[in-house]
Amino acid sequence: MAVASENALCSHCLLPTDGTATRRMVHGESHHFCCYGCCLAFQVRHGIGEESEATWLLIRIGVGGFFAMNVMLLSLLLYSGTFEVADQEVQPWIHLLLWLLATPVLVVLGGPFIYDAWLHGRRGRLTSSTLIALGTSAAYGYSVVSLLRGDDQLYFDTATMLLLLFTVGRYLEAVGRARAVRSLAPLLEAEGQWATVLEGGRELRRRAREIAAGTLVRVRPGERVAVDGLVRQGEAHVDEAVITGESRYLDKAPGARVVAGSIVLDGPLLVRADTAGTDTRWARVCRLVRAALAQRSPMHRLADRAASMLVPFVLVLAAATVLFWSDALPLEQALLIGLAVLVVACPCGLGLAAPMADSLGIGRLARHGCLVRGGAVVEALSRVRVVAFDKTGTLTQGRPRLAALETDDVDPSEALALAAGLELQSEHSLARGVIEAAQARGLRPQAAQAVTVVPGRGLRGTVAGREVAAGSARWMAELGWPVPADLAARAGQLDGAGHSLVHLAWGGRVRAVLAFDDTVRADARDVIDALRRARLSVVLLTGDRPAVAERVAAELGIDQWHAELAPEAKLAALEDLRRNRGPVAMVGDGVNDGPVLAAADVGLAVGSATDLARETADLVLPAEGLHILPWILVVARAVRRTMLASLLWVLAYNAAALSLAALGLLQPVLAAALMAGSSLFVVLNSLRLERLADPAPVGAPELRAAQPKMSSAKARYQTSA
Amino acid sequence: MTGLNGLSSYLLIFVAGFAGSFHCVGMCGGFACALGHDPRGRPATVLRHLLYNSGRVTTYLFMGGLAGAAGQMAMDSMTSPLGGSLLTGQRLLTLAAGVLMVVMALQLFGLLQRAHAIGFAGSTLVLSLRSLLRAPGPTAPLAFGVINGFLPCPLVYAFVAQAASTADPLPAVLTMAAFGLGTFPAMLMMGGVGRMLQPIWRQRGVWIAGGFILLIGLITIARGVLPLASHGMGH
Repeated sequence: MAVASENALCSHCLLPTDGTATRRMVHGESHHFCCYGCCLAFQVRHGIGEESEATWLLIRIGVGGFFAMNVMLLSLLLYSGTFEVADQEVQPWIHLLLWLLATPVLVVLGGPFIYDAWLHGRRGRLTSSTLIALGTSAAYGYSVVSLLRGDDQLYFDTATMLLLLFTVGRYLEAVGRARAVRSLAPLLEAEGQWATVLEGGRELRRRAREIAAGTLVRVRPGERVAVDGLVRQGEAHVDEAVITGESRYLDKAPGARVVAGSIVLDGPLLVRADTAGTDTRWARVCRLVRAALAQRSPMHRLADRAASMLVPFVLVLAAATVLFWSDALPLEQALLIGLAVLVVACPCGLGLAAPMADSLGIGRLARHGCLVRGGAVVEALSRVRVVAFDKTGTLTQGRPRLAALETDDVDPSEALALAAGLELQSEHSLARGVIEAAQARGLRPQAAQAVTVVPGRGLRGTVAGREVAAGSARWMAELGWPVPADLAARAGQLDGAGHSLVHLAWGGRVRAVLAFDDTVRADARDVIDALRRARLSVVLLTGDRPAVAERVAAELGIDQWHAELAPEAKLAALEDLRRNRGPVAMVGDGVNDGPVLAAADVGLAVGSATDLARETADLVLPAEGLHILPWILVVARAVRRTMLASLLWVLAYNAAALSLAALGLLQPVLAAALMAGSSLFVVLNSLRLERLADPAPVGAPELRAAQPKMSSAKARYQTSA
Repeated sequence: MTGLNGLSSYLLIFVAGFAGSFHCVGMCGGFACALGHDPRGRPATVLRHLLYNSGRVTTYLFMGGLAGAAGQMAMDSMTSPLGGSLLTGQRLLTLAAGVLMVVMALQLFGLLQRAHAIGFAGSTLVLSLRSLLRAPGPTAPLAFGVINGFLPCPLVYAFVAQAASTADPLPAVLTMAAFGLGTFPAMLMMGGVGRMLQPIWRQRGVWIAGGFILLIGLITIARGVLPLASHGMGH
């Protein structure tokens, strides 16, 4: 066991181990654990063999429990005066028996705590293990000394019950934490995923990270695909939800593309990998989620600082308590009060609240294809007051659609076929609209030759023997080709309505005008409505013309928009919003609005794949994922609320429990039970995040309805196991 | 002070435990079977099952002791503010325990819907038990028995309630000891003989146990309600 590097995640509960991790070899692999409880629970879960260490640990709890319960029973009978009736000579033998029974408990259950405390103590760190080890060893040592001196002040029962309670408490806590982040597991195991590889006619088991491009991989029903690639053989339904957020099952036949991370539901598939196992999209997502989990939010840092200060404070308080009471009370009673102070403080709960809530939130978002840079983003998102949208590709589909075709005495189909032929050579976004429109009408684009493209103007070339040009009105003016007055008037109207125009000319004059609009996404209106219901201001910021901005804003019910904004002007507008209204979330497509996304309090990119690492955005939504935006805000707020509730509880608990213990009003065993209960409360409270509703597939997600209710939470946990 | 009088009460509990263990045979008996035979021969097998049952009964005793102490504490706290009215505290406690026993009895008869309390802790417990079943060596059965003892069981709860009503650790522990020893024969038998009993007999055992618990529960309630003269005082 050694102290691990920063940023490692606990193998069991997947929470950041934060430099205080312990490393252990389990089944020949090195694992990091954030605490002894997790180490325990991990081995229980993964121990399959008969001699697994897991079983051994449970035996430890059981056997330790057996002795501890016997100590407690004898002590109870001793206190109730059962043995006083019998000969006084029996009593010393009972005391000796207590010692005999308590010693194995200290070894079996106390050993790990003492070892843990020593490991950290060597590096000058004090943890909750320090408190437990110190408290129980002191109680045990004091009892042995008073036994040898012939006194009857024995606290073997206290020492053993403390250890039993703490061990069971930590075990339960670790199980709860693992359950909390279970949903994250498929997002973290990409490179370690086992796959069946075909090599020279033989099937071998390999980890994804050892698979090179071009390898043939066999995937059986129920297995996860470990590589990105094309199906070579077989047909099956697959579930890609983890990667794309797509909730439908997709049918894959030979030639179809499968992505790593998806689950094959029926029938086996033979897949040829086209990237190495470490370069799949899934592997990249995993690295991002890992990085996100390891990043600590400001609240998390604050809580950690408080937790690290709590332990020395408690040690001092315990010492002061003993000193204070030793004046008025016999020493053993003063020591008992000091012991209660030692074991009642709960730094674990303090350290647990923030990472649990963050991990649950990040995991929850990731499962719906929404990647977050870290807990700080979730925290910032929960404070957002304004949501600013970029237009193109965000609220609109970013794909021009032919809205009108005005001609001057020519056949519209002929015009479209000519235009499509020319635009085949162009990469402009409007070109795609022209080609799609032609295809939709069943027209074959005519072949074009000698095409020249003038950026920002248009293009010209020879189509079907005719000299054809397409582009802006300015381009036509520069070519010196006139626009008929009637056509110009109709074009002016379309322009005023916010359409993008393509002028098409041949034979020396403009003969057609194609009007495009960027269609608003089907889900945009619902999203805006939901945001407004959550009392957020919605603003449209676009570089487009006012006419376009006005049309889109009216269609979506956005009452504030700023048009014709150059990138610097967008930054200024953002700054303005932040000053007047509060934190701003900027939603863009992540392609050409990088600086703006980076400048916002939270930058959200819609549909820019999974390359968060290279993006300036803090959060990436899946391509068709705009509709989950309100849900994301719900999750962020719930995470923050849960975290605050947990922290408030832990602080109030520690303040109350420490005061009661210092005043001598709390039995040590009761104090230990309270302490274990406090951590469990944090775990259960955080688990409520699991019960948040999923985003509605389409339609309006109700912000308020999705929030869990405190009162009924407990009942629901019990039925869900 | 005990819920019933002296030795006869423990005998009654022992018989109830014995009858009730046919209920155990259905549930925990499965575990006992799964613990199986030790390859090193009959003595080792017997040791294995003795350890398992000691672990189980130790847990019962422990719960009984705690219940007795808790009952004592509850009674003390109820009594002292009332200026020595020991009677009120004792009665309330006895009444509560009696009602709890009747409820458990009705559950055993299948007349009351059982609470589905297998939650977070329950699932953890089950997980733990499974991995212990196959472990070799003498310590695993002991640990298994200890954890097994905490499994939710209306029989155990009923007698823990009875133990609490005694409001004194010693009789509370003895109550659980009588019950635990009552379950011993059947559970030990399970280890060696396997599932010999027909389900119909197990069902009858459950009813008999329910009958006894109902009887003890009603007696306990009666002791809480009837005037002072009907039961001996002494604290």
